[in-house]
Formats: sequence, structure tokens, C-alpha cells
Amino acid sequence: MKKIIVACGGAVATSTLAAEKIRELCQREGIAADVQQCRIPEIPSRASEVDLIVTTARVDADYGKPTLHGIAFVSGIGEEALEEKILAVLR
Amino acid sequence: MDILQYIVNLGPSVMLPLVIFIIGLLLRQGFGKSLTSGLTIGVGFIGIGLVIGLLTDNLGPAAKDMAERFGIGLSVVDVGWPGTAPMAWASSMGLIAIPIAIGVNLLMLLTKMTKVVNVDIWNIWHMAFTGIIVQLATDSFIWGIVGVAVHAAIAYKLGDMFRPVTENYFQLEGVAIPHGTSAYMGVFAAPIDDLIEKIPGVRRLNLTTKTLQDRAGVLGQPVVVGTILGFAIGLLAGYPFDESIQLAIKMGAVILLMPMVVKLIMQGLMPIANAARTTLQRRFKNSNYSIGLDPALVLGDPQVVAAALLFIPFTLLIALIVPGNVVLPFGDLATIGFFVAMAVGVHRGSLVRTLISGFVIMFITIWVSSQMVGLQTELAQQTNLLNNAHQVGSLDQGGSPITYLLANGASGQVSLGFVAIAVLYIAAFVYTYVKYRRGTLYRVPAPAPAEVKA
Repeated sequence: MKKIIVACGGAVATSTLAAEKIRELCQREGIAADVQQCRIPEIPSRASEVDLIVTTARVDADYGKPTLHGIAFVSGIGEEALEEKILAVLR
Repeated sequence: MDILQYIVNLGPSVMLPLVIFIIGLLLRQGFGKSLTSGLTIGVGFIGIGLVIGLLTDNLGPAAKDMAERFGIGLSVVDVGWPGTAPMAWASSMGLIAIPIAIGVNLLMLLTKMTKVVNVDIWNIWHMAFTGIIVQLATDSFIWGIVGVAVHAAIAYKLGDMFRPVTENYFQLEGVAIPHGTSAYMGVFAAPIDDLIEKIPGVRRLNLTTKTLQDRAGVLGQPVVVGTILGFAIGLLAGYPFDESIQLAIKMGAVILLMPMVVKLIMQGLMPIANAARTTLQRRFKNSNYSIGLDPALVLGDPQVVAAALLFIPFTLLIALIVPGNVVLPFGDLATIGFFVAMAVGVHRGSLVRTLISGFVIMFITIWVSSQMVGLQTELAQQTNLLNNAHQVGSLDQGGSPITYLLANGASGQVSLGFVAIAVLYIAAFVYTYVKYRRGTLYRVPAPAPAEVKA
């Protein structure tokens, strides 16, 4: 089981969009994944227990875990490239 | 008509699932997916009702006791945007606002009045809120619709205006952030930035934020913010230690649970959001356009994070000095960064300047939200989200000059405060607009300023 957190400013709008897309992607590719949402400031306290961090906001911090910028899921531009990156981390 | 009224009377937690289910079917999302979306939005409303109940039932009386003990007026709890957005969605303007906002966007795109292609359906709640508040103030459905349309037009224009900031400072290529408190309060930042440029001493002041974040990072965690605030208010209300600590944990729970339940409303709206996004993007694909997205995208910027941290205590202090204020900031504190995010960009990341313009932004927001308590309470009552509270308010959108000016302007309630807000807001807006037209809104960073360690 892969653990993924998806973070944005308020843990509501953009992270829900991105989380939903990642859930669909994992289902399609047959990857068992637990996708959860949180706010950006909550990442550091949860980073140790996850396999992948996706943020819809731009963050420069290094959380010691693979971190991807998930804006493509929100804007719809470059979605496939991002999906490839996510799969590369999860596989 | 009787049947319609019967359905409306069942309340938003029944009516919205039904509407979303039918829209899902119309958008060919399939029976199963439409049903789940509908039910999910219903669950979201039940959930937010429970959490707001927990908030107002516990913090409400404590805020009142505190207000009485110290003779300060902060007795109305701020339910924040997580409490306010559901009210907007559940109101009679809720779902109608989506086609209106998209219609206004299309009209402006076709007449070349904007380049923002807004694909962010969630934040249409801001426009729906303005609409329903105008409707309540004027008793006219038509005025409500006008309110939605005018707010939408202003929002898209704000997206255009701040595009140099979103592209240059936040480095979001091809993205506009037209929504919410970030954009509409951001107009105060430009005139204040120019004013600071004229003051020799303040001009060069700066703060480094890395140390601040490392040291105080845990204090920015929403659950910690809620718990500390709950405990402090308990003590100030004269509660004994045991009751204060109980209030503390409950308020930590409220702040953490709020986005979790509001998320379900967003999930329920996803079929509509996806359909709108696909259609709009197919039609306006050119690189000339910018995609209108949620301000949440800029809340990860380190300077915005630092500002958000500072503005938690700062906002509480401002609430104490705003004349006649009755609103106790709470629900919006965990995401107070939304209010100053665009200002951070306009100030090119300068924290000192953000503190100055943020003071003005929060002062005006709190004053306006205090004026809007009456109308917002009426809305909460109408949407079954008032629970046992006597009154509720919110900073996010309850404190918006746009909503306030449109509602009181349309109903003819022109006071001295109204004139003051109108003059300040319109002047700041025009100032920012002129700078945008001249291409001087975002200045290229000056050579490294002298640093004062935080």
C-alpha cells in the first residue's frame, strides 16, 4: 500500500481535484494507494509516513520525500506528463 | 409549484443531492457516479452543520463571557470560509451562480474584455455569496442575479490585473488568480507599496523568514492554532482550567475537521466542475488566455506561509482595535494567508511591507464583516446552518468590500462608513488598474536590500 498526501492552501478545492485524479490513476494502473489531503503547513509532520507528496501550490521546501507539483491536475495542461512522474515514483 | 416548494423546504442537505444527481445525469456522468456525487454533497452539508454546531455551541458562549468580562465586543464567532461557502452553495443563488458566472466569463472573453478563462468552479461560491446577500438586502431576486454577475466581472478583471504578479512573482505561467480574498484585497497593496517607496527608512527594511518558519512552524499547524485559541479564550472567559482545556481540544477539532467535511461538497461538485473545464478549455486554447485558478496555489510560497503565521496573532489584535467590531476571528485564522497572498506578490516577497498593507487589509475586512453580521445571520438561518447560535459572521467574503458595497448600495443604506469604504476601495482599485495598464504593477526586484534578522 502506497501512501500519498496531496496538499494545497485550504485542503479543499485544488487538492480534492488532484487527489481524485491520483485515485483514478492508481485504480487504472492497479496500484493500491491511500490518498489523503491536508494543508501545506501540515506536510512536515506527516512527511515521514508517506511515499509521495503532491502539492498544488509551489513549495520550495525539501521534505525528504519525493515531492511533485500537481498544478497540471488543476489546470488540465500537462496532465499526462505528471501522471508518468507519479507512476515513476510509485513503481 | 407546490412540489418545488416542498422540495426546497426539505433543506439544502436533501435538495442539493437531488439537483446534483439530475445535473450529473444531464451531463452524462452515468447513474452511479451521479448518485454518489449527489449523496456526497448531502453528506458534506450534514457534516459542516455538525462542525459549525460544535464551533458555535462551544466557542459562542465563551466568546460572550469573554466579551462581558473585559467589556470588549467580540461576541460573534467568525465561521470562516469553510462555514460560509456551504451557506452560499445552499442558498437560492448557489447553483444558479455557476451558469451566470460562466456566462459572464464567456461574454467577456468574446468581447475581449478579459483573458481569464475561469475553470475554477468551486470559488464561484464567492460570487454566489455576494448574490444572496444582495438579494437579502434588497428583497429582490433580480438584484441578486445582478450581484453575482457584477462580482464575477470584477473577479475576472482582477485576474487580468494581477497576472504579472502571478507570473513573475509566483512563477505560475499562464495562470490567473481571480478569486477570493487574495485578489480583491490585493488592490490595497499597490498604492501602499508606492507609498513605502517614498519613505527612506522603511524602504530598505526587510525580514528573513527562514528562521521564523523553523522556529514557529508548529504554531502554524491548524490544529495547534485552534487548540491554543480555544484554551486562551476559555481562560479569558473565566472558565476553570478543566473546562478551558476541554474547549481547547474542541476548537482544535473544529479547525481540523472543517476542511475535511467541506471537501465533500467540493467532491460532489466535481462532475459540474469537470464538464465546465473541458468545455471552456476546448473553446479557448490559445496561449493568449490565462487559466483562472484557485488562490490556494499561492499559499505554498515561503513568504506567504511566513505572513500567514504572523497574521494569526496580528489579526486578533486588529480585531480588538477596529471600532465597533463584534466579530471574533476564528474560522479563517488557519488560512489567513488567503487575505495577504497577493499583497506578498505585489510587494515582491517583502514581509515588512506585507505587514503594513496587511494591517489595512485586515482592518477593513474586519470592519466590513462586523457590518455584515445581520445579513449573514439571516443567510445562515435560511440555510439551516445557524444551529443554536444567535449570530454568525465571517471574514472571508463576509468582510468583502465588494459584497458590502453592492448589498448596501443596492438597498440604499448609505452611511458614513459606506462612503469611506467606497472611496478607499474604488481608489485602490483604480490605482491598481492604472498601474496594470501602464505595465508597472510588478517592479523588477531592486538590488538586495539591507536585512534585519528576524
